[in-house]
Amino acid sequence: MQYEARFLRQIHKDLLETRLLEEKLCDLYAQGRVPGHVHSGVGQEATYVGVLSTRQPGDYFKLTHRPISMPWMLGTDLDMFFGELLAKKTGNSGGRGGSLHIGELRTGVLGMSGTLGCDTGVAVGAALTIDYEQRPNVSYMFMGDGTSSRGPVYEAMNLAAAWKLPVLFICENNGFAISTPASSTIPVPNALADRAAGYGMPSEVADGTDVLDVYRAAKKMSDYVRAGNGPAVLECKDYRWRGHFEGDQCAYRDAEVTKEWVENHDCVKNLEAMLLKEGVVTEAELAAMRAGFDEQMETAIAHAEAAPAMTAEEIFDGLYA
Amino acid sequence: MKVTYAKAIGDALKEEMRRDEKVLIYGEDVAQFGNIFGITRGMLEEFGPKRVRNTPIAETAIVATAAGAAMTGLRPCVELMYADFTMVAFTEIFHVVSKWRYMHGPEYKLPLVIRCAEGCANGAGAEHSNVTESLFMHAPGLTIITPSCAYDAKGLLKSAIRSDNPVLFCEPKQLYQVKQEIDDALYESDYTIPIGKADVKRSGRDMTVVAIGLMVPRALEAAEILSREGIELEVIDPRTLAPLDTETIYASLAKTHRAAIVEEGNKTSGVGAELAARFQEEQYDELDGPILRVAALDVPMPYNIPMEKTAVPSVERICAAVRAAL
Repeated sequence: MQYEARFLRQIHKDLLETRLLEEKLCDLYAQGRVPGHVHSGVGQEATYVGVLSTRQPGDYFKLTHRPISMPWMLGTDLDMFFGELLAKKTGNSGGRGGSLHIGELRTGVLGMSGTLGCDTGVAVGAALTIDYEQRPNVSYMFMGDGTSSRGPVYEAMNLAAAWKLPVLFICENNGFAISTPASSTIPVPNALADRAAGYGMPSEVADGTDVLDVYRAAKKMSDYVRAGNGPAVLECKDYRWRGHFEGDQCAYRDAEVTKEWVENHDCVKNLEAMLLKEGVVTEAELAAMRAGFDEQMETAIAHAEAAPAMTAEEIFDGLYA
Repeated sequence: MKVTYAKAIGDALKEEMRRDEKVLIYGEDVAQFGNIFGITRGMLEEFGPKRVRNTPIAETAIVATAAGAAMTGLRPCVELMYADFTMVAFTEIFHVVSKWRYMHGPEYKLPLVIRCAEGCANGAGAEHSNVTESLFMHAPGLTIITPSCAYDAKGLLKSAIRSDNPVLFCEPKQLYQVKQEIDDALYESDYTIPIGKADVKRSGRDMTVVAIGLMVPRALEAAEILSREGIELEVIDPRTLAPLDTETIYASLAKTHRAAIVEEGNKTSGVGAELAARFQEEQYDELDGPILRVAALDVPMPYNIPMEKTAVPSVERICAAVRAAL
């Protein structure tokens, strides 16, 4: 086997917990306990977990709206995570940012723009700081295939390349921009990887449903970036299992195709089958992990639901530093 | 010494870069070329290519990268060349720069400055002559500064660079070559001017004239002319449009009971519209007459220079508006 058992157990833990968090978000939303929208990333965890498994202390991360659970893997505790989701004072912005803006700067999370693509330059700016301070770090810039068509993405990629900044641009290509298939709006098969050459960046394409394939490609690309060679592109192919937002019935696509992806390309199920076969984990351990994490989540949700919300009197707090 | 507004801006940048190595500047043509108005000339030589950088023509990237760099520990002072180009990066300024601290929590600080040259100047035309403060006054979280003289420009830019809040810093092009006599020791004293503090440029009893940027010297000239006619204007330069120093302005209204707002921007939905609305909401009892707005005509700025002069408030237009009201 290529990887040590300890590494495999860690990547599985991160993958499983991301899955369980994403599923929990859907449940909470269905129960009417989330005040805003939820964009479920169930089925798309491998891209994020595989890439983020290459991180080093001091790196920066520009995440996306799907999956929103990644701050947990990066070090934000569940009380804060659910506090923000449920719009409570215990959230990172006291519940005023919402589900897309969960995360802490101390963990390297840069924040996220609700206007997709406008934050690409933010990750490039963080890379400018890395370069300025001559640190061996990487700024990870995640986007989806839909965002890959935005102008600010190209301005930011061009500048990153011109200044040779340490950015890894990651495109998670799940095939859909809300209802619009990527094939009808993106003139190349690989939304970002095929465009990388235009900026002199190397690129890799990985199977976004296989966390180890993502890790392999991400390690190669992040090592290249970390070594000071300039930016690079990684594209991971997967499929959006659920609607753009919870409640989207996906009438615009073939349910049979979705079924095929869910049945045959489940990143958690496939990794667990491999780990069981290789004897890295046992069925009993897997069941205990699920039960244990579910309890952790339920405790945090209970804390968040019991936590106070910010009051109207606090509406201007923190607007200016 | 006599100091031009442009030199004051350049000196503020240099002094802050000498003081704090986290400060860097970048934008279109700011390095070898020294910016199209010569403001950053010599800075590449003094501070090197790491701290003085040319960018591609990519305003969205300039602003967004400044946000990312600021959030992670640098203090970027970037340039968008013309205020007109703020619109290219409207989302980045309006959403990212202004809102991210509030949206993500107090841990996120964005100490960055976006400088831009604003206003009309010798037939620059409809897309190189705008002033855009009013568009961004709609963005809570953003500080907006427009200095009207060299002394203020230097002190305010230094404060802007030292601020932990994002600042849009607007420089009226027609003021760049205007000289001001400033005491040598004072000019070189590392003075700063507080953000959010208006300045009473001239005292008077008959009307409070809130003038912005290029309109401050014009309002002062109008005040001089009207004084000979027995009309005494109190000219207030807010200097910072957001947050606005209403305390200084309202103290003046309590004295004059009359108000005018003079601006280089278009009248409709301009700064004057907002200020007039606030004055009547908050100071209705102090006002003895309608609030005047003297502003640019609502047209794209004509290339034809006599028409350009017609579009923007002149000293004569300010005088005429005041005479008609009193």
